[in-house]
Amino acid sequence: MSEETIVGTNAPRVDVRDKATGQAQYAADIQLPGMLYGKVVRCWEHAHARVKRLDLSAAAASPGVVRVIGPKDVTAKRYNSSVLDLMVSESMHDMLGDIDDQPIFTEHVKFQGDAICGIIARSEEAAERAAAKIVVEYEPLPVYLTAEASRAPGAVQFTPEKPGNLAFQLPEAMFPNHALGGGDVEGAMRDADIVVEDAFYVPKQKQCQMEPHAYVAKVDSGGRLTCWTSSQMPKLVQRKLAKLFDLPMNLMKIVPTVIGGGFGTRLGMISEPQACAMALAVPGHPVKLQTLREEDWVISPSRHPGKYWMRIGFKRDGSPVACDARFENYKGGYYLDASGTAFTAGAWLGGMYRFPALRYRGESYFTNQGLTGAYRGYGNPQTNFVLEQLIDRGCAELGADPVEWRKKWHKGVGDDGWCPGVTYPSCALDECLDRGAAAIGWTEKRRKYAKQEGTIRRGVGVAVMNHTSGAMPMLLEHTACTVKLNEDATAEVLFACSDMGQGSHTALKQIAAETLGFPFEHVQLSSGTSDVAGFDIGAHASRTIYVGGAAVKKACEEAKRQLFERASLQLGVPADELDIRDKRIFVKADPARGIQAEAITRAGVYHFVDPMTGEPGGVPGQIQGYVSFFAPHNSPPFGASFAEVEVDTETGEVRVIELVNAHDIGRAINPAAVEGQLEGGIQQGLGFVLSEEMDYDAKGRVQNNSFTDYKMFGPEDMPKITTILVEDADPVGPFGAKSVGESGLVSPIGAVANAIFHAIGIQFTEAPITPEKVLKGILEKGVRNYAAIRRS
Amino acid sequence: MSSRILPDFNLLLPQSVAEAVELLSTHRDRITVMAGGTDVMVAMKFAQSAAKLPEFVMSLENVPGLGYVLFDPEKGLRIGAKATVAELLAPPEVKQHYRALWHAAQTFATAQVRNTATVLGNLLRASPAGDCSCAVYALGGVVVLHGPHGSRDVDIDDFWLSYGVTARQPDELAVELTLPPPAAGSRSAFKRMTRMSEDLAKLNVAVRLEMSGNTCVDARLAMGCVAPTPLRLTKTETLLRGHELTPEVLQRVAASVPWEISPIDDKRSTAEYRKQVSGVLLKRAIQEACGVA
Ligand SMILES: Cc1cc2nc3c(=O)[nH]c(=O)nc-3n(C[C@H](O)[C@H](O)[C@H](O)COP(=O)(O)OP(=O)(O)OC[C@H]3O[C@@H](n4cnc5c(N)ncnc54)[C@H](O)[C@@H]3O)c2cc1C
Repeated sequence: MSEETIVGTNAPRVDVRDKATGQAQYAADIQLPGMLYGKVVRCWEHAHARVKRLDLSAAAASPGVVRVIGPKDVTAKRYNSSVLDLMVSESMHDMLGDIDDQPIFTEHVKFQGDAICGIIARSEEAAERAAAKIVVEYEPLPVYLTAEASRAPGAVQFTPEKPGNLAFQLPEAMFPNHALGGGDVEGAMRDADIVVEDAFYVPKQKQCQMEPHAYVAKVDSGGRLTCWTSSQMPKLVQRKLAKLFDLPMNLMKIVPTVIGGGFGTRLGMISEPQACAMALAVPGHPVKLQTLREEDWVISPSRHPGKYWMRIGFKRDGSPVACDARFENYKGGYYLDASGTAFTAGAWLGGMYRFPALRYRGESYFTNQGLTGAYRGYGNPQTNFVLEQLIDRGCAELGADPVEWRKKWHKGVGDDGWCPGVTYPSCALDECLDRGAAAIGWTEKRRKYAKQEGTIRRGVGVAVMNHTSGAMPMLLEHTACTVKLNEDATAEVLFACSDMGQGSHTALKQIAAETLGFPFEHVQLSSGTSDVAGFDIGAHASRTIYVGGAAVKKACEEAKRQLFERASLQLGVPADELDIRDKRIFVKADPARGIQAEAITRAGVYHFVDPMTGEPGGVPGQIQGYVSFFAPHNSPPFGASFAEVEVDTETGEVRVIELVNAHDIGRAINPAAVEGQLEGGIQQGLGFVLSEEMDYDAKGRVQNNSFTDYKMFGPEDMPKITTILVEDADPVGPFGAKSVGESGLVSPIGAVANAIFHAIGIQFTEAPITPEKVLKGILEKGVRNYAAIRRS
Repeated sequence: MSSRILPDFNLLLPQSVAEAVELLSTHRDRITVMAGGTDVMVAMKFAQSAAKLPEFVMSLENVPGLGYVLFDPEKGLRIGAKATVAELLAPPEVKQHYRALWHAAQTFATAQVRNTATVLGNLLRASPAGDCSCAVYALGGVVVLHGPHGSRDVDIDDFWLSYGVTARQPDELAVELTLPPPAAGSRSAFKRMTRMSEDLAKLNVAVRLEMSGNTCVDARLAMGCVAPTPLRLTKTETLLRGHELTPEVLQRVAASVPWEISPIDDKRSTAEYRKQVSGVLLKRAIQEACGVA
């Protein structure tokens, strides 16, 4: 396929040795001289209340306490812990209506766990003991857990900026009638032969990253505030914190720490503002702030739950005529990225099939549930659960094969992707569908399971998805990268985008080594602190390889250009006739003629003039490649998932037997890492569709903020997994690569739901599809053979 | 909300059963016995108030000679107070003659917890969800308690009094569980339903049947997560006793279960669901015990 020797191999992961041997330094591992310990006192008993009285005195007098700070002791400025607002232009920001509504410490509790005040003490124990002595009197307010409740007339307003507690709806100026899409939906629906329609519920899923959030913050004698954090977006967090605390950015330093998993939860800030506020209260002393797992669970944002209604019209011949949808999500108490998921859920809906008419409305309502924000997939899982089930319902009514139907009607090369005007440059979804179908035994099993008897029923299902590679054109796509060549012809790549454990730094190092023509081991890649590394928006939107990789490639190409320029002088051959392999530059037409890169890099750094002749020894100057890169396009990947399930019709239990994830990767820079992403995605997708959801009691208190009662798929629960990487190089992405970071969890959701439909003839509109719901469905509707549905 | 700080307590480390009993008599209600600690430590970390915390924790760590699992064809199975769930799985006779308990131990929690948690601790926790408890209830057995006035045996049928409460007096130490020797024609099975495989049960069931051909001579049926304590399904047992295990009998047996249980809604499932599947799970356990697929 290609001549690359490093790209496309399973180069060893750069982070695993440290992680596996316990040497990785997470924020919680940091120990600094004179360190103090912070504790945020939170409201646990109410999800909605006003603070009537706050008495810090007893806590302040508690042994070991250094300072106690409340709302009056910190800046009155508010912030928005998401960073989406920094990635759009100012006019777009105003149009979207992004707001800053989060205080550091609140007097209006909007969700269980809202921060009340902070304690700084000499030990964690002392801080916790003092926390118990904080006296707070609350005036409980009505608790709104759904959009219906919070938009009701007379409801307490979460913020005067958002009347009716409507945090966001698609803005009229950009989306006429607050709807995304186009065409005459009503007219098309009237002409449709078959219309399928239902109201769904999508669950509040938690990222469950392994590392609970932890921070250290310190103000030094020069007034510089430093924050150690595992945020996915160190550069944007730097800007946010600088703004919040009125500091010039040079006095706001971020030290990115090793990230123990993100999945979106570190997209922006969580408790950085509180950690920094504490550090500002005790200048000179580092303050460490750690969260308990149960605390992390309630204070960090989850996936957006809510109601998702959709209808799709078809002609008898199978052609889709229109899709009409509305996703009304339940935000938590604050705005964060209310505009994000509400929009993207519809964008991915629009990017999937060739609907001649589409109308999607997305709205976010404040509620007193825990915060909602980014979670891997970002609106796409919600859409997949709804869209893919309705497509299969349509297929059943049409008598169409779900694989064939999808092959015929999915969008592809030249069609608009999720944003109008940005067309798909590549699409290998047909091959994903063909190879996935072959892997699961689609044709045979579809036929065989359409008619079954007995208690245990099997089914196979398919679902497809499109995702994104970066967020261009909606959001800023900017990454700066510096490549510095050492005198011994090794390279240091400086790049601010973090590795959350997904393997991105390994793959980026492969890209750098390949581009430079250096061995993998002779390239170092560092994230760098904010004062050292250049700008980057952060690791989100499945962008790190597609955008970040392109930046690394460009910076390395620039370094290589300089290297070749100097080699050309020495070899007397134009630079474009040169190539490099394993650090040796040679003439393409005559490979025997060449020069070691090290001869050039050494001479550039250790540049001496011959004292006898006055002749310079080679070209002076250390070679550095630098780029401030803006993604020119977006090449979304597609994917197809196939699931085989077994449903116990007496208990409602669903066992997933096999899951095939076929992914349109363009080019796998590191195939093992891509497979890992797809496998991990399956685990989270299965959780979304079958088991995971945060539960609240009527007072808005979360019932399962721990692994005891929030159930993810464990090793023994996982099905047999097959991953298929379809490599059809994208014309834009670096080495043809497209993204994989988030995609893996999206289509397993629809595939499992559709496999259940195939097995027992019932569709479930509420995720997760628990045994309790399945059995209820069976008792109400009766098990039906799929073949019987097709006839009716 | 838990805490990163384990509350203060006094650790007692008796060197013998006699010393342990003495310490229990001295401190009575202010002391908690700790075997594997997989329940005790969790309860301490999540204690809602200081009043719920023990003043003394007495660990059995240094008490010698309680870690046995001994089988005797005449006397039955003796399980010492320190025998872990993992240790129970070792002797082949457990799997052979006490299938229900073996299966309960095998599906119990995770390898790490099995290596620490004791079988007796499971009984003494008196949780309605205890897996070993459920199996032992069906198999029948006797808990041996040592107190200041000597030793006494409590039949498992009289052991659980209410949620978290057993017949053990505060000054008594449980030292052993004895299960009856295997009888000819006796067979048993255990089944549980969980949300994920590594989980506490939302429903568990164990059966022990004395069979003569296809006729059930005697039956002990136990179910968990359907009442404040593990429950024996005594009414349903009468539908089996003296009957051939025909599909009709099994149907009747399954239909009887929901009437005998009083489950609640909780984080793991709903009362409604538990009622709906209780009969199914019992029927399947009976079929499994009898080797019917
Ligand atoms: C992660 C996890 C998973 C779990 N999974 C399961 C599961 O799948 N199934 C299940 O049934 N349970 C499960 N449990 C609960 C627990 O592991 C069991 O109940 C276990 O058998 C308790 O044994 P232990 O030795 O750890 O008891 P401990 O915690 O030491 O004690 C339990 C109780 O018994 C008392 N006690 C113990 N020994 C004596 C004695 N000799 N005399 C008097 N009193 C005594 C203690 O005072 C305490 O009240 C789980 C627990 C955890 C933490």
